[in-house]
This record gives sequence, C-alpha cells and structure tokens, in this order.
Amino acid sequence: MYALVDATSFYASAEKVFDPSIRHKPVVVLTNNDGCICAVCPIAKKLNIPKFGPYFKIKHYLAKHNVVIRSSNYELYADLSERMMNVAARFCDNQHIYSIDECFLHFKQFTKLVDNWHDYGYQIRKVVWRETRLPVGVGIANTPTLAKAANHAAKKLPGYNGVAVIDTEQSRKSILAQMNVSDVWGIGSRLSKKLMVMGVNTALELANQCPKQMRKQFSVVVERTINELNGIVCLSWDDVKEPKQEIFSTRSFGQRVTDYNALKSALTSHVNIVARKLRKQNSLAKKLYIFAHSSQYQDNYYKQSVIVQFPQATNNTLVMANAVTSALPSIFRQGVLFYKCGVGAIELESNRYRQPDMFSPDLNNESLMQCFDMINSRYGQGTLSMATESKQHSWQMKRHFLSPSYTTKWSDIPRISC
Amino acid sequence: MKIIPIYIEAGVSGFESPAAEYKELGLSLDELLIENPTATFIGLASGESMQGIGIFDGDLLIVDRSKQVKNNAVIVANYNGCFVCKTLNKTHAQLISASQIHPPITITTSDDFQIEGVVTRVIRILEPIRELNQCML
Repeated sequence: MYALVDATSFYASAEKVFDPSIRHKPVVVLTNNDGCICAVCPIAKKLNIPKFGPYFKIKHYLAKHNVVIRSSNYELYADLSERMMNVAARFCDNQHIYSIDECFLHFKQFTKLVDNWHDYGYQIRKVVWRETRLPVGVGIANTPTLAKAANHAAKKLPGYNGVAVIDTEQSRKSILAQMNVSDVWGIGSRLSKKLMVMGVNTALELANQCPKQMRKQFSVVVERTINELNGIVCLSWDDVKEPKQEIFSTRSFGQRVTDYNALKSALTSHVNIVARKLRKQNSLAKKLYIFAHSSQYQDNYYKQSVIVQFPQATNNTLVMANAVTSALPSIFRQGVLFYKCGVGAIELESNRYRQPDMFSPDLNNESLMQCFDMINSRYGQGTLSMATESKQHSWQMKRHFLSPSYTTKWSDIPRISC
Repeated sequence: MKIIPIYIEAGVSGFESPAAEYKELGLSLDELLIENPTATFIGLASGESMQGIGIFDGDLLIVDRSKQVKNNAVIVANYNGCFVCKTLNKTHAQLISASQIHPPITITTSDDFQIEGVVTRVIRILEPIRELNQCML
C-alpha cells in the first residue's frame, strides 16, 4: 500500500504554527519579492481569493477583509517541512519526499500491522497535527497514482474530512468518477485538453482506456498512468526523480533595475544557480536562454530574449557567464525599468554519454568546477562567486511581510507570557 | 550533526595518545534536554507569574508537543491568540499561576484555547549571551 501525505496550504498553515493570534484569521502568503499570492489558507479561500494572482491587484480587497499577509519565510517552512516529514516517516517502511509539503509513504512490512487503513490515515493526520500543528491530508491506495487521487478526494470531495482510502473496486470507481482528468497525477493541462476532445473527461474514463493503444497515441507515461489507475504499480521512486529537461532560474527584482551592470550582475547570479544545478544532476546544456523584461502592468512593456548556442554542451559557470556578457548588449536598453530577468539551460544532455569534439578544445574544466562546488557547499553558497555578481544584492528578494524565523534564529524564538 | 574528530597524521609523529582509542562523542545538551526533536520548540519566558515554580523572566522554555498532559502539568497554551505558560488544573479547567498576585483563570467556552505542549525543561541564562540579547529587549 501507498499513502500520499501533504499539508493543506502549507505556507499559510506554517505561518499559523507559532503565531496563535492569526490561527482563526484569513492568511495569504506572497511569492518571492511579494509579487503574487502563492498560498491561501482555508479561511481565506472562503473569501474567493485567487491563487497566483498578482498581489497589488487585490491589495485593497485583502485590506478590506482584514486578511493577514505574509512574505514567504523559507527558513521557517524548511524547518517545519522537515519536522512534518520526520513524523510521517514513522508510520511506514519507506518514505519518498516529493516536495516541500508532500511525501509518499510505502507500506510493506507495516501492512501486517494495519487492519483498518481508514483509522491509520486518521492516526497519521492526528499525530502530525499534534506534534507540528500542521494540518495534512492523507490518501491511501495500492499504487502511488491512486494514492494521489485518494489524497485529492480527501481534501476536495465532501464527506472525506482529510482522509480517503481506495481499497475496494467500489471506492476506486467512486473517487475516480468524481475527479477531472486534468487532476490526475502526471496528466498535464495540454494533455488533458486532448483527452477531453476524445471524450475522456474524468479519471475513471481515463482508467477505462486501453493502455496499449494510449501508449501509441500519446506516450509510455500515459500508459503507466492508466495501469496505475487500475491498481497496477508501475512507478518506482527512481522514475519520479528523472533528471530535469530544462533548468531555469528567474526572479523579479526587489527594486526596478535600470543599470547595465546591475542587470549583468543579476543574470550572472542566475547563471551560477543554473550551472550548479546542471552539475548536480550531471547534465550539460547546449543552449542558454537569457531574458529580461519590464513590468507587464506598466506602460511601454519591453521584453527581450536571446538564445546562445554553445559550441559544445557545457555546465561550466565561466562559459555560461561569458554567454551573458556577449548577449547583454542586445537585451539591455537604456531607460527601461527592468522588472524581471532570468536564464534557462535548455536542450540538456547527460554528461555521462557526452560526445567530445575532436577539433575544439574542451571548455568544461570539470576539475575547476568541482573545486568551486566543493568550496561553496562546505563554506556556504556564495563563498566563491563570479566577480560580476555584486556582493550587495540590491536586486535580491523583497520581503516586507516576513514573519520571524521562530525555529532557526535565537533572536526570533516565540515569546511565552508567564 | 555529530562528528568524531579524526586528526590528520603528519609523516613525522610522536607517540600516539594513549587515550586515542577511548575517544567518544562529547556530551550534548540537545540529547539530554530534548526527548522528541520533531515535536519540540523553544520559547522565551516573559513575565513574573510563574516565579513560584522557578520560571523567571528571560528563561528559555523547552516545550514538547508530543507529551501526554497530566493534571497540574506546566504547559504552554494558546489562550485567546497568545502563548501563555501556566499550570493546568484539568478538574476545574483553570490556568493557575505560581504567584500570589495572579489569580487563576477559568477557561470558558467563549475562550480560544488549545494546549500547545508540556514544558519539560527550563533553562536560566545567568551570563548574558549575545545571540539572545536581541530577543530579551
């Protein structure tokens, strides 16, 4: 059996753990630079606050309803996430942490100890709440994809109250029939549109398709998903963690940037992040996508992007930083108030099967990059950086509504009245 | 993280320390004071109402959410949107201070009240610590 445990509006719920004064108030959390709303607590959901909408657009609406606004406090979320994962891990043989707020639990030997999965699900929920004050939803089924579907039901369908179990044919059909095909794990929005054209609207209708035929028409991933929806386990944790096909690092500026060198410094920092991630998954990029634009909500919207092709695929920070230097003159324009910029490594290939070029010199300088990464992982990111990245990050995150780091900074620990 | 230090041995060395084989991890206060790390948080006591049982202003409180709450346990609770440290009298649903000038508080249904955890340890800071100075203000 598998379970998917995930926190309800994790960021917003995390804000309530050490601030009891806002537990019964509507709370929303903003993304980097306080740009958009990225988490809405259940109380705020009742006010119909749209997720991922830009903050400034509904600022007044939020103020009118006394909604509590918080900037993303990653220090706090990372700590609470770790606690939540540790508590959940106690209940199973194997845990796979899928994201900051969700994990799969795999029960093998534990299966013998459980006679009622429903009660077990409630127990997981209760203990996580008691020890961390985070509300979680639990979905249990015999494949990861069905566990994810059960979790969806636990939170979205009436009558489930945070826990749902698919352990009979009847429960499987009933839950899948009430679920949109676009909500099935692994079915993206583009794919679900195609499926809907074919008349496949619900998860149950997808489950009833012939897997072999769907493989021909779409992909092996769809075939696997259909099998999983029918109770045949096809995914293993390794499949879940395939290397990424594209790596992006982008961010909006805390303050608008108008200076050539400031933009260059920001882009170089993004290159640094992307190159580090490439090396971590042992990939090389053939191309680098570089862009910068002004705010779409202001007049004279300006956007410019350049794709730089490398003579050979690379993950060398220096080579990629040079690409920024060469591309910047065609991106930068005097007088533009730049709002956001970023870089993306595209067309990745594995470093393991690299085909070296006989005529051009190797640009990768692996030993230098290894040394670079080792120093930064031991002494902290940013210990060694490109000279073009300014030490004072004037473009770094704006977090006006940041809560204290209750569990990671001594100066921020919660006060208790005696 | 717990690390047993192993020193680099240079080519030329004297006698090996006779205690080398007996080297063990140093004592860790975390290990002694925190039974359930995932369920524990640290707070700062603020106020004089619990002096009778030895909790003073500026003390660190170690609070364990996983502990069973017994009658008359020293607890941290959310009382109307504020963390408070009191002794809990379960029979009379009262929060009791350890001081003559603070009368017991009876919890009513109109109060917002949840137990947050049991105070398992209290740490008094005698010599000022730089990291804590800021939160003492």
